[in-house]
Amino acid sequence: MAIQVSGITKRFNDFTALDSIDLEVRSGELLALLGPSGSGKTTLLRIMAGLESPDAGGLLLNGEEALGLKPRDRQVGFVFQHYALFRHMTVFENVAFGLKVRPRGQRLGSAQIRQRVTELLELVQLSPFAGRYPAQLSGGQRQRVALARALAIEPKVLLLDEPFGALDAKVRKELRRWLRKLHDDIHITSVFVTHDQEEALELADRVVVMNQGRIEQIGTPAEVYDHPASAFVYEFLGQVNRFDCTVEGGVAHVGGGALTIPTEGGVQGPAVAYVRPHDLGVTPATAGPGRISGIHVVGPDARIEIDLAGLALEAEMDRERLATLGIVAGDRCAVHIDRARVFAR
Amino acid sequence: MVAAADSDGALAGKGGAVTVRAPVPLFRKPSVIPGFGLTLGFTLTYLSLIVLVPLAALIVRSSSLGWGGFWSAVTTPRVIAAFEVSFGLSFAAALTNAVFGFLVAWVLVRYDFPGKRLVDALVDLPFALPTAVAGIALSALYAPNGWLGKPLNELFGLKVAFTPVGIAIALTFIGLPFVVRTVQPILQDLPAEEEEAAASLGASRFQTFRSVILPAVLPALVTGFALSFARGVGEYGSVIFIAGNMPGLTEIVPLLIVIKLEQYDYAGAAAVGTAMLGVSFLMLLILNLLQQWMRSRHAR
Repeated sequence: MAIQVSGITKRFNDFTALDSIDLEVRSGELLALLGPSGSGKTTLLRIMAGLESPDAGGLLLNGEEALGLKPRDRQVGFVFQHYALFRHMTVFENVAFGLKVRPRGQRLGSAQIRQRVTELLELVQLSPFAGRYPAQLSGGQRQRVALARALAIEPKVLLLDEPFGALDAKVRKELRRWLRKLHDDIHITSVFVTHDQEEALELADRVVVMNQGRIEQIGTPAEVYDHPASAFVYEFLGQVNRFDCTVEGGVAHVGGGALTIPTEGGVQGPAVAYVRPHDLGVTPATAGPGRISGIHVVGPDARIEIDLAGLALEAEMDRERLATLGIVAGDRCAVHIDRARVFAR
Repeated sequence: MVAAADSDGALAGKGGAVTVRAPVPLFRKPSVIPGFGLTLGFTLTYLSLIVLVPLAALIVRSSSLGWGGFWSAVTTPRVIAAFEVSFGLSFAAALTNAVFGFLVAWVLVRYDFPGKRLVDALVDLPFALPTAVAGIALSALYAPNGWLGKPLNELFGLKVAFTPVGIAIALTFIGLPFVVRTVQPILQDLPAEEEEAAASLGASRFQTFRSVILPAVLPALVTGFALSFARGVGEYGSVIFIAGNMPGLTEIVPLLIVIKLEQYDYAGAAAVGTAMLGVSFLMLLILNLLQQWMRSRHAR
């Protein structure tokens, strides 16, 4: 089922959480709402679920106006950041809840409910834990219960609010892969909110980058990473070197002529340049303009800090390449950058 | 026993250097929190002085009657009727408070309205007011010629003052804060997300209330009920003015005890007191067990 958001605006007192948002979620896709805290992404998700009502704008669920509908009538599955499991119910009862509260006419028989819940617990790999209470589960298990509970009502849309936010790094990664696989299997239209760019880029079909109640960019993970539409997106997605420069005739001059970089985008005059650390080349040169001020090895990668005429830059390469170059802290070096994205200052 | 636990602790401290382990009581688990002996000793001493010794004196006093004397003192029709009035009406009042106290707590937690803080403060008034003042006010209000007593009598033929209804009203008045103040913090801490989850799963407001909110609040509600009930059973001041104190009909146990004392029947008063103590203890024990059972279902 597709979701169409048009001109949604929401204010909390004098804080504008959402400023006229237009967005289309395509049927069957996994969409990420990515942004820093306070960017309005959770508010947008809660408006889709009917847990919050906007001040202005429209919302179509599968082509039908949905703003007047109560949450229970929207056929939306919502997964909360802190799980929001019912504490006094077992895992089984939690998952069965949505089926048991249906009006008498649409309710399944208790044997069918039992069967459906059993199937769902198998799907989330929690069958042995059916009789446990939420307090007896780990965070990852709780989140899977929350997911099974949301899926039990056969929602048309699955909305997830920071689904991995409260988990530790390893569990987060596992659960992320697992969710991707689950989505590939059942193809339910899903929207998830995250502030973790790695999570958004790895998991989503499309990423919506939000900032201060507006959408900065919508695109596939590759599009938003390789071709950021704004300075904000560049800074928010991944590590980046940011420095001031002057552009003349498509060439950026950095650090009083210490470095020249070909640019794209047709900006002239004072500008800000963005370069990813892995796009920054380093070669040892005894009379080079740069100086290696530090080297940090993190797992298979090496981060090299360079002081270029007072400008602090960071380069990234794998350890083998570092060994081949044979540079150590304190060496002089040359820096070359193949291309940089510049935005007018 | 208290002293033993204390000296064990001291021994363990000294014995550390020679690697001899002082025996630790079986029930005691190793813990980094110090002061177990001292605090337990203090707790037991304090409880003994404040609670157990007076209660023991009561029992000792009544034991001068012997079993037969005790039994005949507490099974006279007048005493039994007083017990029925005291416990029955306290129960009814506590039940009323459980329902309406919950409502008051709900409104105070869930909604914002002008004067909310004033209403919140009003709830505590029955705590602070001398109960005799409450009793006089209530009996003036509900007397056959009072502001409320007169119309109630004329319109519905309902007599409040000097009937069991009046006693129940007085007990409801003094028991209300107990329910509100125990339920309020629990309601406040109830995560909104659980209710939102229930709503998005298709539950109606009533279903959400019944299966999400009520189970979470129920242990606190039972505590409030128990406190209100216990307070009602022991209440004296506010009741005697409105009750009319007719033996066998509107006479409460505490009043009966006072009457016996005024007749210099100290042993009889102690016997009735002991019986009251026993029944109260039993009821509170049952309520506590009920609560424990409810908590165990949370598996916390």
